[in-house]
Amino acid sequence: MAEAGQGGAGGQRSGDGSALFTVLVADDNDVAQRLCKRVLEKAGYGVLIAADGLQAVDIALKQRPAMILMDVAMPGIDGLEAMRRIKLEMPALPIVIASAHSMASDRERFLAAGADDVLSKPFRLADLIAIVTKLAAEPK
Amino acid sequence: MLPEPDAPVAPWSRGLVRRVIPFAAIAAIFAVQALADASPVLAFPLYLAVVLLAALQVGRTESVAAATLAAIAILIRPLVTGAQASDLAPALLLAVVLVVVTVAVGEAARQARETAVEAQRRAARTAAAEQRVRTMLEAAMVGLALTDLDGRWTQVNEQLSRILGRNRDDILQTPLGALTAEGDRQVIDEALALLRSGDIVHWEGELTHVRPDGTLVPVAVAIAKPSPEANLLVVQETDISERRRVELIRDCLVAVRQAILDPTSWDQTVPVVLGSLGTYLDWDVALYWMVDSEGKSLRARHVWRSRGASLDEFLEQSRALNLTGGTGLVSRVWRSGVVGSEANLEQVNDYERLDAARRADLQAALALPVVDGGAVIGVIELLGRRPRSLRDDEVTALATVGLELGQFIRRSETAQALRRSEADHRAIYERSPIGIARISAEGELLEANGALLGMVEHDFETMRASAWPDLLRAYDQAASRHRAAPLLAGITGGDSVQVRAVTASGKWLWLQLTATSIPDASGRPEHVLVMVEDVTTVRDTSDKLAEALESQRSANANLEKLDRTKTEFLSIVSHEFRTALTGIQGFSELIRDGGLEPDELRAYGGYIFNDADRVNRLIGDMLDLDRMESGRMSMRSGAVDINEVLSEAMARAGTAASTVEFKADLDPRLPIVSGDRDRLIQVVSNLVNNAIKYSPDGGTVTLSSRAEGGFALVSISDTGLGIPPDEIGHVFERFRRVRSGAAQSIPGTGLGLTIVKQIVEMHGGKIWVESAVGHGSAFHFTVPMAVESTSPMQLLHG
Repeated sequence: MAEAGQGGAGGQRSGDGSALFTVLVADDNDVAQRLCKRVLEKAGYGVLIAADGLQAVDIALKQRPAMILMDVAMPGIDGLEAMRRIKLEMPALPIVIASAHSMASDRERFLAAGADDVLSKPFRLADLIAIVTKLAAEPK
Repeated sequence: MLPEPDAPVAPWSRGLVRRVIPFAAIAAIFAVQALADASPVLAFPLYLAVVLLAALQVGRTESVAAATLAAIAILIRPLVTGAQASDLAPALLLAVVLVVVTVAVGEAARQARETAVEAQRRAARTAAAEQRVRTMLEAAMVGLALTDLDGRWTQVNEQLSRILGRNRDDILQTPLGALTAEGDRQVIDEALALLRSGDIVHWEGELTHVRPDGTLVPVAVAIAKPSPEANLLVVQETDISERRRVELIRDCLVAVRQAILDPTSWDQTVPVVLGSLGTYLDWDVALYWMVDSEGKSLRARHVWRSRGASLDEFLEQSRALNLTGGTGLVSRVWRSGVVGSEANLEQVNDYERLDAARRADLQAALALPVVDGGAVIGVIELLGRRPRSLRDDEVTALATVGLELGQFIRRSETAQALRRSEADHRAIYERSPIGIARISAEGELLEANGALLGMVEHDFETMRASAWPDLLRAYDQAASRHRAAPLLAGITGGDSVQVRAVTASGKWLWLQLTATSIPDASGRPEHVLVMVEDVTTVRDTSDKLAEALESQRSANANLEKLDRTKTEFLSIVSHEFRTALTGIQGFSELIRDGGLEPDELRAYGGYIFNDADRVNRLIGDMLDLDRMESGRMSMRSGAVDINEVLSEAMARAGTAASTVEFKADLDPRLPIVSGDRDRLIQVVSNLVNNAIKYSPDGGTVTLSSRAEGGFALVSISDTGLGIPPDEIGHVFERFRRVRSGAAQSIPGTGLGLTIVKQIVEMHGGKIWVESAVGHGSAFHFTVPMAVESTSPMQLLHG
């Protein structure tokens, strides 16, 4: 498993342009970070990276992405708690929970916690793009 | 001798005549003497006779005057004739004698007369007194009489004749004893005998006299002998019929109350009550008429009859009668609730059994209601052979009897119900298959039923003396274990306690004791009832059942826990796998879709490989752990040199990690241990790899070994990140990885330390950790030394 290096510092890079639809990817697993970043950027979206819950809240409030792709099992505060805090400030910001917790009951649990959509890991790349595209197409 | 004038003459003229007569007689004698010229001596006896008569008859003055006249008559001739002194002297002597005699006799006569007058006056007084006494006797309210010493009447007053119902002549001819009723005759005869002999002078008693019409009259009698020598007796008699009547009513009430005192059965008591009424109040028939349960009719239920009377027909009719109304005596009393009577049945025409009553010579009837709570529940009818009217006190007494009988009936019904209930309970008590003991408030066994004695195989005495106290102690001990009250303190009932008890034959039983205290009127426990059940079989069965249930329960709990653990485990494992598969699937999809730069391809291939490798290790660790936890992992046990294991693990790790510096602090005299060398290398390698992983900025990893007790103690310490205090307790749990702060991206399956702990424990050792955040962690574990080895390592290490 363990790919070496890549400490805590997740990509804090801003999106390429202000016109871009920016997605904040919050995931402690750097493989997942890279995959999402690669796929979404290829699809023409801006990507921000957070490696844990607190970072996710911080970046979401400061950089105001258009949506968030949020993992659940993260160190510190988990994705659900991060989502709760972000929704307190920005209730309209769409948050999609992307979790490897994919027992039958988990989906309901996440939606009940306030998620706008749920993406189970592992996912097909098309599903990821479809979810983001759909949210990007919705009028703000 | 003196001529008395025949014709009635006025008293004063008669007195005058009487006074004159002596003087005339003297003058006559003097005339005769003078004419005959006789010697005065010769005439002297005549003068003397006249003067004496005068002295006896008339007053003193007249008699002295007459005597003087006579003396002069004697003296006058000698004086006139002038006779010689010798002739004068005798005449003078005679004259003096005459006067003296006259005076003397006159005095004597006067005294005699006075005496006679006094005697006459006394006689008159006596007669008056006698008259007064007689009047008093006749007017007296008590009978008074005089009899001789044999009781023959000499004088009887009016009242006594009224008492005896006879006229006086009749009484005077019949002695006291003969007037007395047969039964008392001996009593009065004895009394008279004692009075006659003088042994007593006074006797008092009560007798019954017989009147000519045969009726009896009770009297109180007092007989007095005025003096021991007297030959008469004073008899005083008082009619006590009224007192007797009142006494009989009172005695009747007493007898009735006596009969109803004990509320036994009404059927046994009624005849006694009827008999008391009949006997004391002198009736010949007594009937109890009972109102039926609906209050619609009356029937004769009990009968009493005096002896010897021929009442069969009347009673038969009475029994056959079913009174539903009408105006007859019994019906009237039933309706009114008031005592009623027929003084003379001859004059009644609405009496239902009139002809029979007449043929039985029953003349009077009386009926009294038996009342309970204001309702007439029965009527007592009394019939007698003599006409009589009802007196107020009798009515009151009979009404009282009716009321008391009513109350008695209610009591007796209650008592009967009680007795029935008591008999039922007694039967339940005696035949109950449950043992029942009644004990005093002090714990003394008062009673034990057959079931209880049979259960413990004791007779009552041994039960009371020894077996019961043992049981009581056992109860209290068991009760105190269950925080319940001792048997004698504050039991209200319902609590059961099971105790162990041994029977006389030595059989051990489980007895269930259920105690209920029975309070007295004041609420204090008077005695305690203890139900005793032999629950040995139940208890044995339930013990087994409880055991089975308990093991089932714990098995269930284990299964549940296992199930929960399994679900949890699955959830964690699937999460781990899916996380790893996310990269594998995503990047392989990118590669498949093509259009990648060569360096991209290489990087993505690397990610895919790493995650695939991680999945593989995860599977390996899981299988290892499963084998260890299920005890299916075999250990190839042998002599292991811990120092050599440490050195090898250090050498393997050193080639991979160049960021940390290794230090070894090995005890060269450490004895060899008994264990699986490969597994021990796995333990040390894992701990060393962790130490390297969690020292991202380099540092020192130190391996040490030493002997401690019968164990080899191994420590692997680093100078890395350290474990936060809230996580240190969980590091050996599955999938619990320290991921806070700088440690968050350090990869791992989360199973390594769990496996390490399992291996150490399989060797009989222990593992623990000390750590401080920012200063590093130290993992220590022990492995027991080989039993027979104290020095072989000397051999190995030279």
